Amino acid sequence: MHAIALNHYLIVAALLFATGFAGVLVRRNLIIVLMCLELMLNAANIALVAFARFNATPEHPLMDGNAFVFFVITVAAAEVAVGLAIVVALYRRRSTVMTDDLTALKK
Amino acid sequence: MLTQAAETFRSLAPNGVDWSSIAPEIALGVWALYVLLREAFRKPGSRGAATFTTIFLLLFSLLCVRNAFAIPAGASASFFGGMIEQSRTTELLRAFFLFSGFLTTLLGGTLLKKQGVPQAEFDVLILLATAGLMLLAQVRDFILLFVALETMSISMYVLVAYIRHSASSLEAGIKYLTQSGLSSALLLAGIALLFGAAGNTALPGACADPFSFRELRVFIFLNQGNAFVLGGAALVLCGLFFKIAAVPFQIWVGDVYQGAPTPVTAYLGVASKAAGFVLLVNVVTGPLLPLRGVLLPLLSAVAILTILFGNLAALGQQNVKRLMGLSGIAHAGYLLMGVCAAMALNVDWPIVAVYFYLFTYLLASYAIFGVMSVLSGEDDSAQTLNDYAGLMKRDSFLGGILAVSLGSLAGIPPMAGFVAKLFLFIAAFTAHLYWLAAVGLFGVVVSIYYYFNWMRVAVFVPCKTEDEVEAGTLKAAPIASGFWLRTVLTTLALITVCLGFWQGFLAL
Repeated sequence: MHAIALNHYLIVAALLFATGFAGVLVRRNLIIVLMCLELMLNAANIALVAFARFNATPEHPLMDGNAFVFFVITVAAAEVAVGLAIVVALYRRRSTVMTDDLTALKK
Repeated sequence: MLTQAAETFRSLAPNGVDWSSIAPEIALGVWALYVLLREAFRKPGSRGAATFTTIFLLLFSLLCVRNAFAIPAGASASFFGGMIEQSRTTELLRAFFLFSGFLTTLLGGTLLKKQGVPQAEFDVLILLATAGLMLLAQVRDFILLFVALETMSISMYVLVAYIRHSASSLEAGIKYLTQSGLSSALLLAGIALLFGAAGNTALPGACADPFSFRELRVFIFLNQGNAFVLGGAALVLCGLFFKIAAVPFQIWVGDVYQGAPTPVTAYLGVASKAAGFVLLVNVVTGPLLPLRGVLLPLLSAVAILTILFGNLAALGQQNVKRLMGLSGIAHAGYLLMGVCAAMALNVDWPIVAVYFYLFTYLLASYAIFGVMSVLSGEDDSAQTLNDYAGLMKRDSFLGGILAVSLGSLAGIPPMAGFVAKLFLFIAAFTAHLYWLAAVGLFGVVVSIYYYFNWMRVAVFVPCKTEDEVEAGTLKAAPIASGFWLRTVLTTLALITVCLGFWQGFLAL
């Protein structure tokens, strides 16, 4: 039996982050782009919690890392709320959520 | 009386936590809530709180300037366990952000009415974004850095998409949101990596508080080759490069600057960029200073590319909002030059030069965006150079403001922009960054071309509608602008000229 160590968490976080990053760059649907942004933030959260848990010693409890995650979750929620609101307004205006159709600003 | 209240407040607070140190930010938040409530219960037809908000921001800004000079030079104080550090510089930066907030609400009053969108929510978002920016001026801790940065960014997403009936504004909003969100995620990943490395007790100098700038600096000094440290530093810089729109994180600039309502474009171009620079300066001369050997060539290369890209992209640009955005990239390049010099010399005066440049950039940019808000027509995103044809003849006041401010941006003596550029070039030469200074000079020459082209159109090209006016088919649109807007624009232009002659107060 192998115990789950810091590296396993970091690999999961790295994979999630890479998935999100690729998704933001490649996907054309705005909703999926927003989901990928969330994925990246949550990947960073996993890394933060894992670091806080595995680096903690009785002298250095490192609770800051865990506390930071709550801030990030709040920020992510606000970001996606604003993002979806803009997508809805855009859909009402243009009837599309695809990035390829966003061409009003090409001179 | 006020000091007594502050003393009472202080005695109530738990140890090390001094809420009165961030009283201005709290006041902004409270005022924002008040404006929202007042709007909710306002009788239709009665006045909103817009005028008060504008005056409030101006007074607060002046108050911060006064406070700044009450603090002895060189003194600094830490609050909230070192999360916040206040000195004369941070107090002046607070005033800077409040002043840009004031100008944005003022321009908003002109533009939003024309677009038929409400002002109250706009003011609320500006107040919240300004509070975030003011905190950013003082942060010495990565948690607060991220939270304050996102407070600003999320308000900004809404502001960019504020004209809800305009497809360009919404499109700019979603483009800004996705790209800014991407950069925030990179920044967060960088912070997580630094946190992980600095908390690791197996490494020398492990920190008890791995988010604090001061502790991180010691740790990074002891572990300069650590892969996590290098990767984390690179990701943090990526996040900051996005805010200052340095190459290769400048792709968003053209579209977002064009689509955003003009006052928001000004706020993005000045306040958000200034915040990016304040953070960059605090990070590269703080926790990341031990990595100077790696970062200096990297930042110099970024500065060179930024100057070249900004100036070449702005050449031949017809849309003035895009022109301001793309030339703003070049200005970020010159500012990066100052940051590089500060890193190379490890002294403070190039940083003062950077902040002075930001202030002259604020004066000139807001004056130009003020003229743009007055001139903007039905579609706020479609403002081209042609709209400026014959401006000098139609309204010599606006033409004069435009000429002074464009001259300052181009760096023509005797405007303030010239002196500010000169300081940055002196800094680059003193730091032996000759290549950087040479590219910078080339960039300035190119920028004179496109800024003067704009001026030429405003002064010499006759107004297109003139023939039709004479034929009586079309009336030349009278340029309406309020008394207060004109007064403020005059003041900005006057300060631009005065600072060109006298900068004796700078401790360079």
